[in-house]
Amino acid sequence: MTDATGPAPQRRELKQRSTSEANVRRRYAREKRFKLYGMLAVATAMAMLAILLVTIIGNGTSAFFQHEMALDVSIDAERLDLGPEPDEAALRTAPYLRVVRDALKADFPGISGRRERRSLYGLVSNGADFAVRDAVLANPAVVGTTHRVWVKTSDDIDTFLKGQMTGSERWQPAGAATPTATAGKVTIAAETGAFAGILADVRAHLGAVADSLLKQRGALERAIEREIAELGQLRASGGDEAGIARLDRAIERDKQEAASLTAEILDLRKRAAAAGGEEALGDGQPSYFVAINGGLVKLETVSDAEATGQALLPLADTDHAGAGEWSVVAYRVPEADRRVKDQEIAWIAKLQGEGRVEQRFNFDFFATGDSREPELAGIWGAVVGSFFTLVTTLLISFPIGVLAAVYLEEFAPKNRWTDLIEVNINNLAAVPSIVFGLLGLAVFLNFFGLPRSAPVVGGMVLALMTLPTIIIASRAALKSVPPSIREAALGMGASRLQTVGHHVLPLAMPGILTGTIIGMAQALGETAPLLMIGMVAFIVDVPGGFTDPATVMPVQIYLWADSPERAFVAKTSAAIMVLLSFLVLMNVLAVILRKRFERRW
Amino acid sequence: MDNTDAMTMVEAAQDARVTKTQGLTLPQAVPLSQPKLLARKVNVFYGSKQALFDVDLDIPQHQVTALIGPSGCGKSTFLRCINRMNDVIEGCVTEGEILMDGRNILDRREDVVMLRQKVGMVFQKPNPFPKTIYENIAYGPRIHGLADDRTELDEIVEVSLERAGLWDEVKDRLDQPGTSLSGGQQQRLCIARAIAVSPEVVLMDEPCSALDPIATARIEELIDELREKFTIVIVTHSMQQAARVSQQTAFFHLGVLVEVGQTEKIFTNPSDERTNGYITGRFG
Repeated sequence: MTDATGPAPQRRELKQRSTSEANVRRRYAREKRFKLYGMLAVATAMAMLAILLVTIIGNGTSAFFQHEMALDVSIDAERLDLGPEPDEAALRTAPYLRVVRDALKADFPGISGRRERRSLYGLVSNGADFAVRDAVLANPAVVGTTHRVWVKTSDDIDTFLKGQMTGSERWQPAGAATPTATAGKVTIAAETGAFAGILADVRAHLGAVADSLLKQRGALERAIEREIAELGQLRASGGDEAGIARLDRAIERDKQEAASLTAEILDLRKRAAAAGGEEALGDGQPSYFVAINGGLVKLETVSDAEATGQALLPLADTDHAGAGEWSVVAYRVPEADRRVKDQEIAWIAKLQGEGRVEQRFNFDFFATGDSREPELAGIWGAVVGSFFTLVTTLLISFPIGVLAAVYLEEFAPKNRWTDLIEVNINNLAAVPSIVFGLLGLAVFLNFFGLPRSAPVVGGMVLALMTLPTIIIASRAALKSVPPSIREAALGMGASRLQTVGHHVLPLAMPGILTGTIIGMAQALGETAPLLMIGMVAFIVDVPGGFTDPATVMPVQIYLWADSPERAFVAKTSAAIMVLLSFLVLMNVLAVILRKRFERRW
Repeated sequence: MDNTDAMTMVEAAQDARVTKTQGLTLPQAVPLSQPKLLARKVNVFYGSKQALFDVDLDIPQHQVTALIGPSGCGKSTFLRCINRMNDVIEGCVTEGEILMDGRNILDRREDVVMLRQKVGMVFQKPNPFPKTIYENIAYGPRIHGLADDRTELDEIVEVSLERAGLWDEVKDRLDQPGTSLSGGQQQRLCIARAIAVSPEVVLMDEPCSALDPIATARIEELIDELREKFTIVIVTHSMQQAARVSQQTAFFHLGVLVEVGQTEKIFTNPSDERTNGYITGRFG
């Protein structure tokens, strides 16, 4: 390349060096460690996710299945105040509750007293009459016949049947047994040791109660000591007479209570330590049933070989029941501590014996709106509300966001004002979401007077929230389109708008769509901004349009999580599962769309 | 271009008899035609840095003008002035005038979109649109409203591809994406795209630098055919290419137009010492 014009000037040479094995090994070791850290991080995240999923699925699956009871309902036209040729309106409004209750009473004759009847009616859901109504509307010919209708059990019965109310055990004692009667007070004579287990349990329980009473007495005695000390101080400092007298009386009272506690403890201890003889089952004890000869006896006293109790279900006869033909069932949680009482358990047991209690998939969960009754509550209202809200959010935030990004990226001059706008947009993305709710309340509801709790208002509030996300994602996508495409288009004589619209935007679409769907998924799970505009409310009807009052899925989850009924716990997890599956679906959609558009590169 | 070739060429040229030396075609001396573009006192600044100093250059009609010079000498910058592509660069200021058909195209008031229909550009790295081959060619005529209906558009596409020497290869797959072609084919597609809008001038910014020798040869043939209808300005790093393809050559150095003239003269008997140094390979 260059002519040699003279002797080459002296140059410095690099010394011959080579990297050491130790150095190379260190570098590989670092790489291996880094990979390990990476895998650990991923494993931790996966583990957390697994725990979350397992917990939620474990809690929630039971909400998808509901126990139902078959009732043979005599659909009597007269009882339902229906004329000879009833029209649909009459069929719709007939008092079906009467025939439901009749059917229950027919199953269990001999129920008397208002309390018992109320207990019986409480076996089925409050919505049981709707099930009969639906059966009649589907086939009006059943009027006048006795038709088997499957109705939902009440949420308490459902919870009990799912084993969530109390644990239970069933076992068959060795040997035979003979009952003395078929109804009322029944004594069951069995072989030696048949009820020994129960006796031991009962006595052990008494011992446990004694121990807790002992602790109580200990606390009481400490309190008495404190009071005596106080009295002493008061006397020494010459306090008022009334105060001293009061304290005196208090000490007296406490001492008496301590004494009675002591007596109780001694009695319990004695009973617990006794051997043989019999014990009475009282409050705070588990419930024990003996299933014999087709009936159910709730035990009240037990001894080693004999037990006496009330027949909650009448026995067929007083015949001798051989070994293996009778059994004992124990329900751990004492009757006073549960919502389903022993008599109700007995009734359900009878129906179960007749095969009239089944667990079925709860399709209504996906078809009905919210309700105060857990067994009738469904998620459909929230799903529709979420849908309308998200549609509004998308329709507002997508065009505005993309167009704003296009303008800022392609057309806006680069000066201080545009810098300011960019900073503000980035900041908006960091604003707490509840602030948007306050904005919605102040502007959309109070100033513009839009309807409260409507998806259209919720959508607008959420659109404000997702707008920064979409703008930022769109700008990044637009920036990533190579300048060669722009140059080619401009070189062809395309105007700026044509270049952006025909060439840049289609290529930036994958990124824009991904950002949009991420924003939508974020909006789907928001609760706080909707709080202020009234979408956190108990809405029963499924919304029909954008201006009907509605609620959204995360809000529904929150409301159910707040409810006291036990059955709502499972429903909350079930609703979370539905919400999560929607989110997964949206993310899958994002991936599919991205892949589809990316091919065109 | 290595030492020996350059020396041989210069010596042989002085003989003026030999027409082929070591694979190099010596340019024939061709009289230059009427100028299509007249550049007068063109200065370009990137921010505070000046890239072109008072460039005066005539581009003859229906002939190929080659802009040569070492890296960073301003030849691409000058090329991009002609179709106002420098406007999209932030902070780039262009002074002076370039007259085409009597109008100064550097005037702010001139419509850039119309200018770019008249002055097309082919870039260094082939950049077909990520659309079908048909759409690539049809896009320009469509946005400029050059075709009344689909048949006319089809004709424009076919003729453009034919003139670019690509028709036989792609006529069966016009709906394939433009990016599915090879490098050389893509560049020919870009040339077809540029000529589809019936420009008057075609600018080429090192169009063959990303291509292999065979593809390069084909495109040089194409350039030779195209100058029948269009005025061509080509920036090239390869002096052999400039010698083969152009009738006028302009040598730029450090933002200054050092020498311009018939290609034959520039390569056999340059007036300026710097030109001589460049073409003999002493620098660059």
